[in-house]
Amino acid sequence: MTGPATDDIVVDHLTKQYKKLRAVDDLSFTVRSGRVTGFLGPNGAGKTTTLRMLLGLVTPTAGTATIGGRKYVELHDPIRHVGAVLEASSAHRGRTGRNHLRMICRAAGLPDSRSDEALELVGLTPAAKRKFKGYSLGMRQRLGIAAAMLGDPRVLVLDEPANGLDPEGIRWMRDLLKALAAEGRTVLVSSHLLGEMQLLADDVVILAAGKLIRQGPVEDVLGSMGAAQVRVRTPQAAELTDALGKINATVSPQPDGTMLVSGAEAAAIGHAAFAASVELHELTPERGDLEQVFLQLTAGMAGIR
Amino acid sequence: MRLVNAELFKLRTTSIWWIMGIILLPLYAASLGFNWLSSYALVSGQADGGASDAQAQVDAVSQPINIATNLYTTGQYMGVLIVLLLSAIIVTSEFFHLTATTTFLVTPRRETVILAKFGAAIIVALLVWAITTLLDLLLVPIIMDALNIGNQLGEPAVWRAIGLNALAFLLWAVLGVGLGVLIRSQLAATLILGIVYTIGTGVFAIIFQLLETYVAKWIQNLEVLVPTTASQLMLSGTELPGNPPRWVGALVLIGYAVIAGVVGTLITKRRDIS
Repeated sequence: MTGPATDDIVVDHLTKQYKKLRAVDDLSFTVRSGRVTGFLGPNGAGKTTTLRMLLGLVTPTAGTATIGGRKYVELHDPIRHVGAVLEASSAHRGRTGRNHLRMICRAAGLPDSRSDEALELVGLTPAAKRKFKGYSLGMRQRLGIAAAMLGDPRVLVLDEPANGLDPEGIRWMRDLLKALAAEGRTVLVSSHLLGEMQLLADDVVILAAGKLIRQGPVEDVLGSMGAAQVRVRTPQAAELTDALGKINATVSPQPDGTMLVSGAEAAAIGHAAFAASVELHELTPERGDLEQVFLQLTAGMAGIR
Repeated sequence: MRLVNAELFKLRTTSIWWIMGIILLPLYAASLGFNWLSSYALVSGQADGGASDAQAQVDAVSQPINIATNLYTTGQYMGVLIVLLLSAIIVTSEFFHLTATTTFLVTPRRETVILAKFGAAIIVALLVWAITTLLDLLLVPIIMDALNIGNQLGEPAVWRAIGLNALAFLLWAVLGVGLGVLIRSQLAATLILGIVYTIGTGVFAIIFQLLETYVAKWIQNLEVLVPTTASQLMLSGTELPGNPPRWVGALVLIGYAVIAGVVGTLITKRRDIS
């Protein structure tokens, strides 16, 4: 491939300096089309500020953020290119959900019928004529996603879209975003919910204290941090520890009576146990955990600045 | 034009327009009653200015043509107040309800959003003007008849006053949008504008009276800088003794509207939306 694809998001040396706080500090990363990219960072890491600069709502102190090579404010009819969900509570309390969407349609020159289609897409049709103040948090998130989908955009930017959704809603959103990415769209999602991100994202961009910590495919980021571990449960802990010591595996007993073994694959551990006639009740390879990796990577950089 | 349409749609899809409408009607009725009484007082010669300068003003105001222009612009005082508040709310509600983000995502060129808000506010202003003027044209001839001074509708001065009344509504709408941008808090904007508009004129009159008495006589000429005074001056039917000419009032109002509009637009363009 030559050059960035037309729907890539490119953040280039982006910086935002508030009076005393450098909210975003020389940040560069690329979000590729056709994949879901998780945008992760502790509270106050600068995620929202970065997304707002990308969308032309906040002016950067330095650097640029472009979508398909162009700044958001330079896009003609931007919501036909980029759909954004920024705040769940961003609609007039006294306006119905459908009128909220129609208002956007009118400003963007889209037909009113798009609002009904978008409501159908997010499952809000039964609540179309209800006022926004009667919406639950989950319904508000769905309305936000409906608003983002009005222009059938190639690029989606979502800030904490899973907040307030119930498990069914989270699963619905995961399926929706994965399907949209599979159609070749660019999907950038910020979240705190790391378990959810591990299920959803193909790539991650990890941010802390305004700086880029790590970017890449989820497996690579997980693989780069520490060796894989295997959880083992046995009534003969001492014998197994001896046997594993002979194959140079490291054993760390856990409070729940299991032990975490590193330095050996599950098969090698099972073999060593068999050879030593040790009874095993559990032998589980622990998959890399995004939460652990995230906490290691951002250690000491989280917190209020 | 598409954005003006969207702004009017925003206004139409919340309850603010009929709340303001419900407020406007009784206020209009009260204004009409008040004007009827004061016109009656002037016609029957019960009004007494006291000092010679003031007496000259009363004499001028008592002329049928001036009574007519006053009556045919009934509803201006309260109508403009409603328009002023609505215009400010068109802007402040975007921040109050956090819809500014959505609005500027749809239209990242913010100056066009503000221009659309000016457009929508002006349309609303002209609508309120049209409603009050229509009511005036229906009801005032009955009052004039009761006062035995004829309906005066043949006089060009009456139609000029009605036209200038439209200009006043329009300028106050622009002023309202501009001030709405400057005072972003919805509560603060409505309170400040409401209080300054209703009580401000009286307070400023007292301040200018004191300055005139204790500092210098010429300060009196600056009273026209008070927007409500300027607005009233612009509408007065004929030149009243002791007042600056009518166009000064118009100029002052246009000046405020332009300043508020330009400053408001520039601020909105620069401000971070978060």
